Amino acid sequence: MINIYHDIFEIFMYLFATICSCLSEYDRNSWLLKSRLMTDICCISLITITGTALNIIFNITLIKIYIFFHYKENIIRKTYSIIFTDKSFHGYAYPAVLAGNAYRASLTKEGVNMTAWQWFYSFLKKYRFKLIFALFLATITSIIAIVNPYISGIIVDDIIMGGKREILSAMMIIMLVTTLLRAVLRYWFTMICEKASQDLLYTMRDHVYRKLLAQDFYYYNNSRTGDLMSRQTGDMDAIRHFVAWVIYNSYENILLFVIALVMMFVVDWRLALLMLTVLPLTALAAFKQMNAVKPAFRNIRKQFSSLNTAVQENISGNRVVKAFAKEEFEKSKFEQENDAYREAQLKAAGIWKLYVPIFEFLANVLSIVLYLIGGIMVIRGDMSMGKLVTASGFLWMLNMPLRQAGWLTNDVQNFLTSVDKIYQSIAVEPGIKNPENAIKIDRLRGDIEFSHVGYTLDGNVILEDINFHVKPGQTVGIVGPTGSGKSTLMNLLCRFYDASSGEIRVDGTDIRKMDLHDLRDNIGMAMQDVFLFSDTIEGNIAYGRPDCSFDEVVAAAKIANAHDFIMQMPDGYDTIVGERGVGLSGGQKQRISLARALLKKPAILILDDTTSAVDMETEAQIQKELNSLKDRQTVFIIAHRISSIKDADLILVLDQGRIIESGNHDELIKKKGYYYTVFYHQYGDFEQMKGREVASLG
Amino acid sequence: MARNKYDVDETLQEEFNFSHLKRLGSYIKPYRTDMLLTIFLTTVSSALGMLTPVFLMNIMDVLIPKRDIKGIVIYCVILLLIYLAISLILAAKTTITARLGQNIIHTIRSDIFNHLQELPFSYYDDKPHGKIQVRVVNYVNSLSDLLSNGIVNTITDLFSLFFIVGFMLYVNVRLTLISLMGLPLLMLIIFIIKRKQRAAWQQSSNKLSNLNAYIAESINGIRVTQSFTREEENTRIFNKLSGEYKNAWMKAVRWNFILWPAINNISTWTNIAVYVVGIAWLDRGMQGITAGVIIAMTGYIGRFWAPINTLANFYNSLLTAISYLERIFQTIDEPVLVKDCEGAEDMPMIKGEVEFKNVSFGYEDNVKVLNNISFKAKAGDTIAIVGPTGAGKTTIINLISRFYNLDSGEITIDGIDISRVKIKSLRKQMGVMLQDSFTFSGTIMDNIRYGNMEASDEQVIEAAKTVRAHDFIMKLENGYNTEVNERGTRLSVGQRQLLSFARALLADPRILILDEATSSIDTETEILLQEGLSRLLANRTSFIIAHRLSTIKNADCIMYVDGGEIKEMGTHEELLAKKGLYYELYMSQYKFLQKN
Repeated sequence: MINIYHDIFEIFMYLFATICSCLSEYDRNSWLLKSRLMTDICCISLITITGTALNIIFNITLIKIYIFFHYKENIIRKTYSIIFTDKSFHGYAYPAVLAGNAYRASLTKEGVNMTAWQWFYSFLKKYRFKLIFALFLATITSIIAIVNPYISGIIVDDIIMGGKREILSAMMIIMLVTTLLRAVLRYWFTMICEKASQDLLYTMRDHVYRKLLAQDFYYYNNSRTGDLMSRQTGDMDAIRHFVAWVIYNSYENILLFVIALVMMFVVDWRLALLMLTVLPLTALAAFKQMNAVKPAFRNIRKQFSSLNTAVQENISGNRVVKAFAKEEFEKSKFEQENDAYREAQLKAAGIWKLYVPIFEFLANVLSIVLYLIGGIMVIRGDMSMGKLVTASGFLWMLNMPLRQAGWLTNDVQNFLTSVDKIYQSIAVEPGIKNPENAIKIDRLRGDIEFSHVGYTLDGNVILEDINFHVKPGQTVGIVGPTGSGKSTLMNLLCRFYDASSGEIRVDGTDIRKMDLHDLRDNIGMAMQDVFLFSDTIEGNIAYGRPDCSFDEVVAAAKIANAHDFIMQMPDGYDTIVGERGVGLSGGQKQRISLARALLKKPAILILDDTTSAVDMETEAQIQKELNSLKDRQTVFIIAHRISSIKDADLILVLDQGRIIESGNHDELIKKKGYYYTVFYHQYGDFEQMKGREVASLG
Repeated sequence: MARNKYDVDETLQEEFNFSHLKRLGSYIKPYRTDMLLTIFLTTVSSALGMLTPVFLMNIMDVLIPKRDIKGIVIYCVILLLIYLAISLILAAKTTITARLGQNIIHTIRSDIFNHLQELPFSYYDDKPHGKIQVRVVNYVNSLSDLLSNGIVNTITDLFSLFFIVGFMLYVNVRLTLISLMGLPLLMLIIFIIKRKQRAAWQQSSNKLSNLNAYIAESINGIRVTQSFTREEENTRIFNKLSGEYKNAWMKAVRWNFILWPAINNISTWTNIAVYVVGIAWLDRGMQGITAGVIIAMTGYIGRFWAPINTLANFYNSLLTAISYLERIFQTIDEPVLVKDCEGAEDMPMIKGEVEFKNVSFGYEDNVKVLNNISFKAKAGDTIAIVGPTGAGKTTIINLISRFYNLDSGEITIDGIDISRVKIKSLRKQMGVMLQDSFTFSGTIMDNIRYGNMEASDEQVIEAAKTVRAHDFIMKLENGYNTEVNERGTRLSVGQRQLLSFARALLADPRILILDEATSSIDTETEILLQEGLSRLLANRTSFIIAHRLSTIKNADCIMYVDGGEIKEMGTHEELLAKKGLYYELYMSQYKFLQKN
């Protein structure tokens, strides 16, 4: 009883410290403070009531789990320092605050300042009852596990020694049944955990994938494919391992330890307390290991990403590698990454090799303590010999979990690092997303107006004061030197980037107010840098409308002048093309990409250098086809060949991000500016040709 | 082999193959000292571990009844020392096994990667890149645990198994035989589930590979996906693949989980058998059976099944690993089709005379892309290749670099058959600018320097100036040190083409090959570029493919290629005079002018 009073006193002392720290931290938000204090008090009193011995075990787990999840939070750091510096560390109060914090964290709005752990927990939550049930089954399994040794004892003592042969068969049946039961239960709960982990991973992958698809171009400009892939593969696996294995395994170990301790208490409380002396040391070691191994695991994850990126780029760039005969260089580059990954792994091993033996040693020291002190107590007559024998029977149950502690700590930290990595990769909110109260649109007419549009990236002015107006059904040609901002102009229209200044209006509405999905749905774009998917040609053309009919695919391919060459391929439309369309020539890829854009039947069609690798003859045919149907859509054509844009209603000449000339072909030719020069360079010898024609005819 | 896509499993019909294990063994071999050392350490530590019960028993049975506190203290000190030793050994063992496992993985990974460098284009063209990647990174990683702890534990466990059986036989032969009866039963179970288990794990690794391929494509194709608003559809496909992987995993893991309960049950049954038979024999007064023997025997049975359990776990992870391992070995064994012939020598400094003699070639067996092509280019000539898309232009120049083997005919450079020289010595003298410009993640400087690693910064800048890339590079935030990523998303396509142009130039090639090198570059820049180029190309042979005819007008020789054949050949003037296909092509670009 005295103990409990003492505890309560300590808790009040501690509460005082907490209030002080909270006051200094949150004086501006008194309502928040109130709720925080309430939860603290609730938790503290709850835990006080729970009891003594069991409580401490509970605390250790809580400490282990919560310290590392929340140590970043200021308040924790503060209270933590108070606890340790004031040497008033008492197992009860500290986890209470931690638990309080976790509870409070769950009260804060989702998505706002979520920590990686909270993010993970939002996935785990759905499976918590399943997991708790699994842990319940694990509890039963562990209890059953004690039955067989007990029966063995009976068999030896009563049947073999005592001669009670008549109970032999009964014992055998019990043994058989319990083993079978244990096997079934174990299979059951491991499967539950495995299933939960896979289901959780499935949802998480879905979530991460969606986030990834929603990210804007800025995000992709600044990240490496290999890194993003690592989040979806290697890091996910660490999470699987945690949910499927670490959780129940930690629980089993803790349970074993608790059962053994309780048994010890039943036998002799002094012995039990003796055994408890090792706990603070274990906790300290686990805590230290957790911190020490953390940077090492981070480093492993980092190197894993690098390795992944190195391999990924090498595979993507295999043509360049071979063209420049740089195989040896690639090998040595890879070797560095491979080495670095190994070093990272070994460095981590170098850290846990220090801790794992400590746990082993602590576990073993338990038996020495038991025999030494227990022996002396027996000799002094403070305890019976029988009690010591019984207690030593429970020793293995205390040893085992301690031995595992080091490895489990490793697993937990590895898991935490991975969660953190994944969370970091998706915590970035895309800069371009659907506006609130987005204006839904069905079909755009294609009236486009750029007014004073400017775009600046990293301090570089890419576009400046762009003004033009296109009426529905008109064709706009855009020419200009490399890097003059032509593609960017189109990217702004699709809202792949947002204009830094000015406004882009489609059908009179600012595109930033439109539903992003609807806007893009109305735009068909054939990109300069053709990307095809490793799918059939049909699948690639139908990319924008996967449910369209085969006839529609063929129709689009015909307009794009791709039908003939497709039919010449071994499997026609079912021919599989590789990523980046390897196996097809540049012109063929461009035509497939054009067909893909056309199939969408967009209100606005953007052809970004779509025919640069197509021969003139084919280009002329494509244009003829396009002209026959473009009566209803607005078309943008970016090109270097004058032939591609000559018939456009409006031609914009871009240079260094500004429109330097605009008008139709004839107007621009008369201007004798940039456009005229380009025209002259490309077709200057036409007059000469005509002259020769006449001459040869004559 | 037919092309593979993300949702098609790569089939591999192969039975559980012990040669894989043997091969894995060959990777372990170089580290056998480490291996033996670990096994030795483990044996010592378990021997020490077996000593401790003796001490503890002594304390209980002798010292406490004798009330010998001093004795107990001494014993405890000795125990403390033993435990200390065990811990130290554990530390050493952890270090060595980690090193062992990581070294082996390192070697396997190097092997597979290095072999990939030798594989031809077609290998990369046939399958999604994510599927190749998963083998080098993820599959190899999943061997890690098996190779570090798995093997060491297994060997030590096998040792202890022998010891225990020895002890058991020593105690009683007949009861030992009874308790060993469970083993055949276990074998039978393992044998029955093996096939399913293996198929399930193969399936799971396939599904992982598919998922990985799709993730890679999703990231690389993100622009297309977003512009076609395919997010929902892609998510659906992704979830389908992800779900398939999940289901395959659950199916596979089920078989693994069966093993433990099986062993546990069998162990109990043998225990029961020993009790029942033992007690019966005891009652009959059979010779050599005492109560002590039975108790000892059941004690040993427990110890006998513990290592079996670890062995079974090892077996489980082995089966999982094999499904990865066979993929890894499959890649390493992939035949290198384009390779140096025997006795190949270095290509001497190329002067630049290129000759095709009756060259025929097809990517697939029955489809000829080039049909009996012959031509000769003099050293220093500029050869332009024109023709409709898909005519075989790119194929011709790919063959000069020997990216593929010919079906028939011969290509010579300076009179030397290129299939008789070392490929690398040949390619090192070529500067190829591919249709697809590729940038590596790194600085712009690094990307240009890829053409020639020894080039100084000045040389890199010089090359950039020649191709007119200098100006735009200087405008970037960090100039030549601006980081670009592998998709090159920060640069326009034209700018990327200029970069790879500079890269090709920096290689100071004897033969320069430009495949649509300037298609996305504006005419003005191109004219400037050509001025710079003409000086550089003065005495080098070059091949140019272009659709903008202004680019190639000045070539020494223009080839019109169609349907895998050279239809016309000659200078611009000659071909125009001929009024054939080239003339048609040339005039077609003016057609639109005449329409007015």
